[in-house]
Amino acid sequence: MSEDLREAAVRWPKGHQYEDFEPGQVFEHHWGRTVNEGDNSLFSSLTLSYNPLYFNAEFAREHGHDGLVVNPTLVFVTVFGLSVEDLSEAGGLFLGVDDLSFESPVHPGDTLTARSTVVDKRESDSRPESGIVTWHTEGFRQDGTRVIQFRRTNLVARRREGT
Amino acid sequence: MPGELFALTGSDNYFEDFQPGAVYEHARGKTVTEMDGVLICNMVMNTAQGHFNEDIMSRSPQGQRIVFGGVTIAMVIGLAMQDTGEQALAELALDQVRLRTPVFHGDTLYAYSKVLDVADADRPDAGVVSFLHQGYNQDGKLVFEGERRVLVKRRSHWGER
Repeated sequence: MSEDLREAAVRWPKGHQYEDFEPGQVFEHHWGRTVNEGDNSLFSSLTLSYNPLYFNAEFAREHGHDGLVVNPTLVFVTVFGLSVEDLSEAGGLFLGVDDLSFESPVHPGDTLTARSTVVDKRESDSRPESGIVTWHTEGFRQDGTRVIQFRRTNLVARRREGT
Repeated sequence: MPGELFALTGSDNYFEDFQPGAVYEHARGKTVTEMDGVLICNMVMNTAQGHFNEDIMSRSPQGQRIVFGGVTIAMVIGLAMQDTGEQALAELALDQVRLRTPVFHGDTLYAYSKVLDVADADRPDAGVVSFLHQGYNQDGKLVFEGERRVLVKRRSHWGER
C-alpha cells in the first residue's frame, strides 16, 4: 500500500492574522497580473458594464485611446485580488472601501502590481475573535504610474492560542 | 467607424439629464451564479478559498461559499452602468462603499441610484456626476451601498457626434 501523505503532512501556511499587522507596515504584493482583452471583455459582459469603451475598440479609438480601455472596476478588483493573500485571506468579512480614486486609464496588455500600507488596527467590540484592520492599497502599471488607490477595511481573525 | 458615434449609445443619459435628488430603479436584475462569482474571483487572483472551496464552507457557519465582495460591488455598479455610465469618459472615484449582507450563489441583485450632485469638469465637453448606488437582494435586504463619481459627456458636445 502506498504511503498516505496526509499523516506526515505539515500545512503550508498562507496569509496573516490580526497580530501580524502594525500601522505603517508595507506589503509589496505577489505576482502582478497582465490584464488581457479576454479578461476585460468577459468581466465587462458578465457584470453588464455597458460602456462601449470597454468592449468596442473602434469606439474607444474615437475617444482618443489606442484601443479598448480596461473596465475600471476590473482594475479595482484585480488590485484588490492581488492583495488578498497578504491582507485578508486568513479570514474575516470585507467591510468596505473609502476614498478610492482612478488615476490613469489601463489598457489591455498592461500589467498591474499592488502594494498596501497598514493604516489602522483596532479590536472589535462585537466579535472578540476578530479585529478590524484598514489598509491603503495602491495599484501600479508597468511604467510605475499609479492607476488606482483606495482604503479597505476588513475584519481579520485573531490568532488563537496554540496557533 | 461607419455611422455616427452617438448612435451606439442611449440618448437619455448625458450630463444634462442628471438632476440632483433624482432616484432611479435600474431595469434589470441579475442572479449571481457560481460561474460569475468563482470565475471573477479566481480571474482577479483573489486567493481566499471561502469564495471557491465549497467543501470547507459547507462546514462553516454560513454553510456555503460567500461571493467575493468585489463581485458584489462590480455587479451592482454594472447593473447601473448603462444608465449612469454609458456616456462616461472616465470613472473617477468610489467612496463610502459598504457591504451590508453577504451574497451567495443564486442570489439576485437589483440596483438603485440617486443623483447626489452635478458639477462642471475641467473640460467643456463633460461634467462630473456623483451618485449614491444601492444593491438589494431578492429578499429586499440591502447588500451594498456606495458613492461613485463619473465624468459624463455633455449632450451639447457629444449628442450628435
